[in-house]
Amino acid sequence: MKIGIVQSAPYLGDVRKNLESHLEAVEKASAEKIDLLVFPELSLTGYTLCDLTQEIAMRPDNNPVFKKLLRESGRMDLVFGFVEEKERGLFYNSAAYLRKGQVRHIHRKVYLPTYGMFEEGKFFTEGRNFDVFPADVFQTGMMICYDFLQFGACYLLFAGGAELIICLSAAPGRGYAPENKFGSSDMWELMGAALSRFTTSYVIYCNRVGFEDGKAFAGGSFVYGPTGSQICCARYGEEDYISAEIHPDALRDARCKRLYKRDDRPEIIQAALQRLIQKHED
Amino acid sequence: MKTNCAFIEKILVSFIKTEIHRFGFRNAILGLSGGLDSAVTACLSARALGEKNVWALLMPYGKGFRQDVDDALEVAKELGIHTQVIDIKPMVDAFYETHPTDNRLLKGNKMARERMSILYDFSVRKKALIIGTSNKTELLLGYGTLHGDMASALNPIGDLYKTQIREFAAHLGIPGKIIQKAPAAGLWPGQTDEGELGMTYEVIDRVLHALVDERRSPEDLIQSGFDKETVRRIETLIKKSEFKRKLPPIAKISNRTVGHDFLYSSDRGK
Repeated sequence: MKIGIVQSAPYLGDVRKNLESHLEAVEKASAEKIDLLVFPELSLTGYTLCDLTQEIAMRPDNNPVFKKLLRESGRMDLVFGFVEEKERGLFYNSAAYLRKGQVRHIHRKVYLPTYGMFEEGKFFTEGRNFDVFPADVFQTGMMICYDFLQFGACYLLFAGGAELIICLSAAPGRGYAPENKFGSSDMWELMGAALSRFTTSYVIYCNRVGFEDGKAFAGGSFVYGPTGSQICCARYGEEDYISAEIHPDALRDARCKRLYKRDDRPEIIQAALQRLIQKHED
Repeated sequence: MKTNCAFIEKILVSFIKTEIHRFGFRNAILGLSGGLDSAVTACLSARALGEKNVWALLMPYGKGFRQDVDDALEVAKELGIHTQVIDIKPMVDAFYETHPTDNRLLKGNKMARERMSILYDFSVRKKALIIGTSNKTELLLGYGTLHGDMASALNPIGDLYKTQIREFAAHLGIPGKIIQKAPAAGLWPGQTDEGELGMTYEVIDRVLHALVDERRSPEDLIQSGFDKETVRRIETLIKKSEFKRKLPPIAKISNRTVGHDFLYSSDRGK
């Protein structure tokens, strides 16, 4: 299976222009025979939406932009980010997985960062699930940005049987690193390495670039294989496109050697969590 | 403080280019003083937009700052950017003829705002956005003139401390004499920042980094050996200048108010 990662700089609040750049990317990817093309978090809208959130929200079932992308998903699977008005007046930071003209899955961001420079909790409703769904050759799970840094969320995808974990991101760069990147890029790569190794899964991380209100989105999108080693990494802080081959055989091989999945005990975790939650409520 | 100069350059050049172009401009304009911050900003702007798209205005007050003008011209020539020298003495003196004062700070602020006024005028003439040159040290201490040198359309160096800018300037190839020159706001001849603040930038930046970036408490700093007077002074300067880092508060009456809950990014639609 061949995957492509579009490290783009979406226009803020201009869905029409962003749709155009999505369609261009699909066109290029199709020449390369890509099976799955991944875009960053809120790739159709831009990130710092604030009050634009409710003005730019869409419903997958009746939206012309969605219709176009659904049609394109006949050529390859598409994963992208948008603002979803799931129920009237409730807005989610969502990621869609489109496959063969159908909405295969929608993940709604659960962990909305609301601290320091982040204000998502002011504008979005929290999602509630980390579902795993079959798509192409892999059991697939999705996350959006800060979801990825919550290891409880990572565990849920692991326990749910994910073999391919896709994270869409709009992570601003910050802090210093000795190499040619922001310090914060190390954090994402550390999680990518750890998560792929200890879930014996493929991990795709697609981060955006560009600037909004002075914040530079860091780029550095990557793919890790099921042994925890990096397969490829996009450039930091500039637009880029990367692609990689991912193989069910390599995943099987990793799981034969490292038995974390076989030895997972969700019932023990559940019982322990139950006890913890009861204690919290006391 | 670790400073990865090559990466910072890449981000800041990209920032200037993105912001100028997304608002439909090709040109940048800035005040070039002959000091370090504006030299660094001019250099970044030239690399972002091409030297022919950058305008540097040199705005000395009279003949008292000849050396600074010469240094600024040298930097501009090296970068290949456009320059124009405008003496602000006639406009500033015209005002003080009818409203005289001996207060040097008042005059210094007036000069800074005169320069701002000329920059905004020229930004229209040259179809250029104004690039700010306030660094993180100045912004935190409030060591700048509100609506004067603090006024700009975008600021690439506002998250770099003065001492980081020195290191960064060397990386960019800014002449050593500009880097080593005693930083001065040009408020009056012989004035230097460190003389006026009574502290060196090395000390100030170490304290600011500990207070702001590491979020250590002033008490903690003093206990770990920082000079008590210095820490207290810097803490006071930060607190006293909060208004310079904000838009003025708007009295809220309605349900949706500018500055409170009318919330949009300035980059929207771009």
